[in-house]
Amino acid sequence: MKSIAGFLVAALVLSAIAFMLGSYHTDVYRKLLLWITLALGYNFLFGIAGQVAFSHFTFYGIGAYAMVILLFQVGLPLPLAILAGIVVCVVLALVVAIPATRLEGFYLALATLAFAQLFIVVLNEGGSVTGGPGGLANYRLPDILGVRVTGPWYTVVIVFLLLGTLAILWRLDRSWFGRACRAVRDDPQAAQAMGINVTTTRIVAYAVTSALAGVAGMVYAFVDNTVNPPIFGLENSFLLLFMVIVGGSGRHAGAIVGAILLYLLPFFLSPLIGHHHALVFGVVMVAVVLFQPKGLIGIWDHLTARRRMAP
Amino acid sequence: MGEILVAKGLSKQFGGLQAVADLDLDVRRGEILGVIGPNGAGKSTTFNMIAGALAPSSGTLVFDGKDLTGLPAHAMAARGIIRTFQHNKPFASMTVRENVMVGMHLRLKGSLWRVLLAGTGAVRAEREAVQRADELVAFVGLGDCRDADVDTLSFGQGRLLEIARALASEPRLILFDEPAAGLTLAECERLTDIIRQIAQRGIAVLLIEHDMRFLMALADRVVVLNFGRKIAQGTPAEIRADDTVVQAYLGDLGAMAHA
Repeated sequence: MKSIAGFLVAALVLSAIAFMLGSYHTDVYRKLLLWITLALGYNFLFGIAGQVAFSHFTFYGIGAYAMVILLFQVGLPLPLAILAGIVVCVVLALVVAIPATRLEGFYLALATLAFAQLFIVVLNEGGSVTGGPGGLANYRLPDILGVRVTGPWYTVVIVFLLLGTLAILWRLDRSWFGRACRAVRDDPQAAQAMGINVTTTRIVAYAVTSALAGVAGMVYAFVDNTVNPPIFGLENSFLLLFMVIVGGSGRHAGAIVGAILLYLLPFFLSPLIGHHHALVFGVVMVAVVLFQPKGLIGIWDHLTARRRMAP
Repeated sequence: MGEILVAKGLSKQFGGLQAVADLDLDVRRGEILGVIGPNGAGKSTTFNMIAGALAPSSGTLVFDGKDLTGLPAHAMAARGIIRTFQHNKPFASMTVRENVMVGMHLRLKGSLWRVLLAGTGAVRAEREAVQRADELVAFVGLGDCRDADVDTLSFGQGRLLEIARALASEPRLILFDEPAAGLTLAECERLTDIIRQIAQRGIAVLLIEHDMRFLMALADRVVVLNFGRKIAQGTPAEIRADDTVVQAYLGDLGAMAHA
């Protein structure tokens, strides 16, 4: 019950912020919320289930493109388009996961990298369906029950996307399924000896987190009201990985901290050093891996543990 | 006392090497069956076939009347055959209690929708699982370190954790792979005590062991393997008096003396 109250407070506060921002800051805020959503899902896949996959951001793109194509080229009504979009994500996730999760570590990383590249190729070569290199634009969210959801109200939709994603992952993590994922990550052979079907666990974890990324992509489609190939490139897949590692992999709070820090960092750095913030990212990344493998959240744990021990 | 596990004609070939040949073996309900033999006798291969880690080349494995031949390890576990590892394999990122809770996977798992939708039911199930885990941790004598990270445990404590985790799945047959290996004398005695109590709970125990003394004190019946074949079977007293067994072990010692 305490956690439900926490979610309600978070929903109110995050939604209230949406109504206080100008149009530039609204855009920053919406994307920050989306990055946190993505980082939470990727943290489950990479940090908790231990799968080094680079396809998470790709599924974000698949969700976004699927939404636009299903609504405006196929002509489905919004509720059906959402359902069909989720189905597309789950089916594609299974197509990737069933062969790929048999692979481990390095090979899973390679297979998902290839999938991410293939997606960009398909977008560029997709002709009128995907709009080619220019992508798709000039559309807007259809009215929902006659109401046009825009401005801060659409930001509220993103707040609910974030909190819904967190609630699902939270629940999964604190169940037998989350334990099975961690067990498979720690020692697949021992996990199997405890009756855990390693392959199924990996496939389900991959499909669920990929579908969540897809749903986030569907919501994103109406943030910029344009989707194009460069947005969904590999650079952002790596940024997602950095966010989770810098924040503290395996922890929801870590993913949130990492996403906030790495998303906002360029805004503070670019007035100082222009576009060289990638260099700072690299240094931060190396420093964390070397000196604080548990991420920034590990420093927090350390400090609070010390305070608890002091009288 | 009926048989819970019946292996018939179990064989395993690795290329040209016949690791186990035409082995008949049965484990009765609530008994402790020991399997011994010199190095390379096929003990581990036999163990791995029963645990589902290796598929037999031929032969059948019938457990509680059902043919389980060639099922993978997780399916064997789901039928009630749970193994421990000779080299402890804890889940390194978890506490002692969480490790034991992974052992409850088969009891706790259900539909993912229920995890997401069933509010209080899931919470209650988790709370009960914690309680049950704590009981098992206390049973093996790790009560004081249930919240400890597993990397703080000694080797002997790690072995006890393996046992608690295996028991958590409520097995009907538990397989021990050289459980006494690497333990101190005091730890061995504690282990003997725990394995006896497990058998008293009605769980069949199959014990692969190199250490004759430890096994003979514990087992109800003993099967002796040599070069992948069964050369003797009987009570510990019968085995001690068996000429072929003495020869197998002496022969082994003789070979070692020459090496």
